[in-house]
Amino acid sequence: MRQVNKNRKTADVLIRTHPFHDGQEIDQGFQDLSQAVLMRDCRLVKELTEGMVEEGMDLFEILNHGLIPGMVEASERFRRGEFFIPELLMSSRALKFGLNVLRPLMRERKKDVLGKVVVGTVKFDLHDIGKNLVIILLEGDGFEIIDLGVDVSPEKFVKAIEKNEAKLLAMSSLLTSTMSWMKFTIELLHATGLKRKVKTMVGGAPVTPIFAKNIGADGYCREATSAPSLARELLGIEGDEATVIPK
Amino acid sequence: MDIGNSTKECLIKGKKNPKLLILGCAVMEQELRKFQNGQTEFKFFDYGLHRTPENMTKALQVEIDQVQEEDYDGIVLGYGLCSNGIVGLHSSKHSLIIPRIHDCISLFLGSPEAYREQSAEHPGTYYLTPGWIERGQTPISKYESYARSYDEETARWVLHEEMKHYTRIALIDTGVYPIELYREGAKENAKFLGVAYEELRGSPQLFRELICGPWEQNFLIVEKGHSVQQEMFLDL
Repeated sequence: MRQVNKNRKTADVLIRTHPFHDGQEIDQGFQDLSQAVLMRDCRLVKELTEGMVEEGMDLFEILNHGLIPGMVEASERFRRGEFFIPELLMSSRALKFGLNVLRPLMRERKKDVLGKVVVGTVKFDLHDIGKNLVIILLEGDGFEIIDLGVDVSPEKFVKAIEKNEAKLLAMSSLLTSTMSWMKFTIELLHATGLKRKVKTMVGGAPVTPIFAKNIGADGYCREATSAPSLARELLGIEGDEATVIPK
Repeated sequence: MDIGNSTKECLIKGKKNPKLLILGCAVMEQELRKFQNGQTEFKFFDYGLHRTPENMTKALQVEIDQVQEEDYDGIVLGYGLCSNGIVGLHSSKHSLIIPRIHDCISLFLGSPEAYREQSAEHPGTYYLTPGWIERGQTPISKYESYARSYDEETARWVLHEEMKHYTRIALIDTGVYPIELYREGAKENAKFLGVAYEELRGSPQLFRELICGPWEQNFLIVEKGHSVQQEMFLDL
């Protein structure tokens, strides 16, 4: 099983969501690792990940079949009201323990990073739990992140994209009252002529695919865990091999 | 966009003393009840629904579907868009009257403009009202609930991660509660977070209009057969 995500293209906006329970058999080791992320056990996540690396398992399989599904499930439980903010944050932290084992090894095998991504929460919005999870995941996948933090104005996004020659902008918002700033930022990208050089992806609890399409975003993520595959798709990076030099 | 908000065609607005069912969030119960008249009935829901918008929609839709056509002239929501928690709501029997706001803070402050001004000047504000303190959550009560499930260090870490960008606690006085009874509690929360404390003068104006009409500029009337859409609340 290589493809964890499905994607479909609706009009202009590329939409990513995770298929849940796709019915495919998952190796017990991966299941244990997912469970450890879901149950927020940082030490166990680290141990299991290290064990798999020692066994010589493929790093991206550990990531995509072990660590990520645990985080996907934690996010879904949060959405359903079965988990709360502590559980979500603690699962993110556990995920990071696993990624910290994988990331240095992935870097060793990479020619270069996948590209620079400017990330931030939009103006007047201070929520960053989802945004920080996206950063953990994009970094884990091999992107270089320029994190502008929270309450980021369109001008600040534009400056950072210019200065860093970023290929991708990822914006987050948790409030319906601040989502319009995603639109204003995309408008400023057009006005400054930068839009031709940069792709945009948006997400956050109140953001919908229709909204993303209406504001002219290039991509929409329903959940943070779909961010890496969407980012790859938008930048035309194919498969995992692009980041890993064969052993 | 067909949102059925035309005054001329709006049957409910033609009625004198329409009989209304108010479905509202528990945090604004006292403010709404202040304007109760013989023609209104209330049903309040747990404040926590805003965290799970899908559950909010379900809970409210069940309630709307149960209402008999002859019992009321219209249904009023004591909710804003609330993280899309009301998106998709529809009634085949009644008009839905909804304040055109993002969340309850506009109601407490008295207008969407007042909320916009506050957000622009102090985006890092954690708003409290007596209703939020009594029926909802405060930073201290959040911490206490985290500490019941996890150890102290973890609870502190979670609260820090959740609240680190806040710079101010603002207690809103709508004039409905004796605010002096809530001041110390609100100040304690500010101290607990290490942020500034401020009191803001709110207004009962939108609560009054929610119940008494005439539902003009700050309200949407979604006629029967139509459903609530996110776009109705956005100024794009």
